[in-house]
Amino acid sequence: MKTLDLSLLWPLFALQGLLAVIGLVSLARARSVRGPKWMWVIIILLGNLLGSLVYFTIGRKE
Amino acid sequence: MRSAWFFYRKEMLEMTRSYKLLWIPVVFIILGIMQPISAYYMPEILKMSGDVPPGMLELYKLPGAAETMAKSLGQYGMVGLLVLALSAMNSFAGEREGGTAELVLARPLTPLAAASAKWLAQLTLLALSLGLGAACAAYYTVRLIGGLSWSAVLEASALYGLWLLCVVSFTLLFSACLRAPAAAFLSLAAAAGLALLHTLLPRPLRWSPAALPQLSVEALMQQGATAYAWVFPVLSGIALIVLCFLGASLLFGRNKLPRF
Repeated sequence: MKTLDLSLLWPLFALQGLLAVIGLVSLARARSVRGPKWMWVIIILLGNLLGSLVYFTIGRKE
Repeated sequence: MRSAWFFYRKEMLEMTRSYKLLWIPVVFIILGIMQPISAYYMPEILKMSGDVPPGMLELYKLPGAAETMAKSLGQYGMVGLLVLALSAMNSFAGEREGGTAELVLARPLTPLAAASAKWLAQLTLLALSLGLGAACAAYYTVRLIGGLSWSAVLEASALYGLWLLCVVSFTLLFSACLRAPAAAFLSLAAAAGLALLHTLLPRPLRWSPAALPQLSVEALMQQGATAYAWVFPVLSGIALIVLCFLGASLLFGRNKLPRF
């Protein structure tokens, strides 16, 4: 079993966290989004990369 | 010229405000480094997911460095393309639907200048995302899997980037005459159509810009079948981009409300 090299893995988790934070900040500041806001909070928090992606591409109104 | 520069700055400001300049590069980096990480840790991932027949794990062979890098770039051709098209679809359509198109056209700004500012803004976003993403993907591949030739990575990324830029230019063209969702859908469909045609008729369509992803893989594997095979795809890709760009500025100048 390989030892998990955390120095290479943590950036991945950090970036995913960053993406979720950007999503939540943009959600908090958005005047209106498609669908209720609490739904997007759940999707961003639980959906990992895909959740944030779906919020940014579909949820946001320009 | 000055007004085009101001308009470009306005476009970049909008991209910053809508967090596009932040989240799209982050997504590209994640997509890029996920490939080498999952290739390297595949046996552990399989073991954690449970029932693996004994002896299976020993059969797993680590893919080559060039192959992993090619797969990372392939991610940009799928998810990356979707993200870029969806973010570019509002370029002109958003101005029209938000009612700011008339304001833009009423200013001393030719449609050509407006279109070039918008196109340059999309190019900036693409270059930033692809550059950061490919650099991180290459770094992880070298650390986890094996050596890569940096010049090959640069060449492969540039070829792939040109293909992505072709599709983004499609999106801009359609965005100038259709509603935003239709523009994104149609440009992705056009890209898929070009790619399909190229896989069906690879030899007669050697010059097509859809050959660029394949050429990018060959550049990484350093087994280019023929030298200078990239010349015609690159030229036709640039011609396609110029046509889309001119068409977009022409259509935006007319600024008719679309029916779709």
